[in-house]
Order: sequence, then structure tokens, then C-alpha cells
Amino acid sequence: MILSMSKRNDISTPENYFENLQQRLSEIPARKKGAPSGAFARTGSRSDAEEGVPFFRNIRRLAPYAAIAASFLVAVMLGNTILHTTAAPAEDDSWTYVSYLADALDPDGAVYFDDAFAEEEGLSPEDIVNYLLADGISVEHLNYLSYEEGY
Amino acid sequence: MDGAERLFNEIVKDYSERVYWHVRRFVNNHEDADDLVQEIFLKIWTALPSFRGEAQLFTWVYRIATNETLNWLRREKVRATLHFTTIDTEMERRIDSDPFFDGDAADRALSKAVAKLPEKQRQVFVLRYYDELPYEQMSEVLGTSVGALKASYHIAQEKVRAALGKDLFIGTD
Repeated sequence: MILSMSKRNDISTPENYFENLQQRLSEIPARKKGAPSGAFARTGSRSDAEEGVPFFRNIRRLAPYAAIAASFLVAVMLGNTILHTTAAPAEDDSWTYVSYLADALDPDGAVYFDDAFAEEEGLSPEDIVNYLLADGISVEHLNYLSYEEGY
Repeated sequence: MDGAERLFNEIVKDYSERVYWHVRRFVNNHEDADDLVQEIFLKIWTALPSFRGEAQLFTWVYRIATNETLNWLRREKVRATLHFTTIDTEMERRIDSDPFFDGDAADRALSKAVAKLPEKQRQVFVLRYYDELPYEQMSEVLGTSVGALKASYHIAQEKVRAALGKDLFIGTD
């Protein structure tokens, strides 16, 4: 088949479409002369190309761009919220740190460490760190662990 | 009825159908073509005072029509992106679902191949192949040299051929 020879009407229109179209298009000058005022009126100075384009048509044209801007804004806000939620400091960083130290230094659980117990006993994180230091853990090791965990 | 209105009505009478078919080849859907034709004629009416008569009326009308159609295509690309699809997919969907598409499978394949051309090549292809404009007139409408248009049409033809298979398409030079 040779399609260049078949530039036949592969597309059509509703019946009497062109008569109807011409009628509608011929009404444009009359409609433009009787253009409504107020919200539909042209505001400010615009180019010839934009002149006379109804307000809502302009809104429709801008809609996709507004939607992109809105999507971007939502993505930024969502990212910001997630960042703040996940990066929020723990209720008691120092105790988490001590728990971490205890786990790191006593992986077999030979020494039972309990945050709640330590708190009840009035032990501060400093007490625990001092205890660990007194127990022979080097300052360098503690610093290394602190650095690694980001505390 | 003043002179401008009379001229506008002449333009409507002489060109509305031609502009419609031109636009329809781009939008692949009757409803959108109808909307776009109205926008184009609205623009023609508002730009009529700036028509100097230096360009042929036909060239001037076609230039507005092609510019508006390109703008429409760009808006559709944005719209397609917002719907997480591509303009190519959207055009294929339109061709497949157009109730006023009367062609056979080969016509459908040709329409889809043309829809996939880059916008400038597509413009050149539609003007030359479907609208059968001479290169000189195309040059006035698109503001591009005849040589560049011939090259562009050749490339577009090759792409369409490649998409359809060589035996399915023999275009005009």
C-alpha cells in the first residue's frame, strides 16, 4: 500500500460541522464588541496577542504552570516536614548515648544496663561515662564511639 | 458591518476549514481541534488591525495558526508531564480513541508516526504532506529557508518511513 496516494479523508467531523463552525466564528467580532466588563475585562496593558482573550481562558493556560509550582511547593514542604520529623532530637539523647556505649562495650550483655534503673538510681550519663572510664575504657575509644554515632 | 468585520468574515469563509484540518493533524482529536480553531480565529480578529497587507493573507493566517498550534502542543506536553505520561503516549491514545478517525490500520500507523516527530519537523511534514503547501509558501509561513525546509522534510520522511516500514510509505519530495 502506498500511503502517499491515500491522503484520503482518514479523519472526519460531525455532520454540518463546518457550517456551524463558520457561524460561530463569524460571531467573534460581535462578541468582542460586547465583551463584559469587571472580572472579564482586560486589565492593565497587554500585547495584541493576549488582548481580548477571555479571563478564564488565560487562567486555563496558566493552570499547568501553576500546578507545577504547587507540586514543587508541596514536595518542598513535605521534604521539610519529613526532615524535621526524622532529624528531631530524641527525648533524652544522653541516655540513648549511654545505652549505645553500653551495648558497644558490652556486646554479650554481661553487664545488664537499664535506662530506667539508671534514672531511678539517680545516675547521670556523666556517672556512667566516668564509671566506664574508671573501668579501663580509654578516652580515645569513647571519643571514637561518640564520633561514630554522631553524638 | 465595518471593513474589519467584512475582512474577518472573508477569512472565516476562506480559511476556517483549511485551518481546522491543519490543526486537527496536530491535536488528533475533534473537540480540541474545534477549541483551538476558535482560539486561532479570536487571535486573528484581535491581530487584524496589525495586518499590514505586506504578507499574503493566507501566509499571515497560517502563521498565526501554526504558532498557536505549537503553543497548544507545548501546553499539552506540560499537562502530560503533570499526569505522569508523555505527549507521545497521549497522542497515541487520542488517535486510538478518536471517534472521527475513519482510516484503516495503515492510516492510524501513519498518524502515530507523524505524532512522534519533533514539533518543528512535524510542522514541516504536516504543511508539506497533508496541506500540500509549496516550499516557498512554507518558507513564508515558518520564516525558514527553502533549503532548510527541504532538509527538514526529508529527515521527517525518513523517520516516518522507519516507523512504518519502507514499503508502507512513499512520500512526496
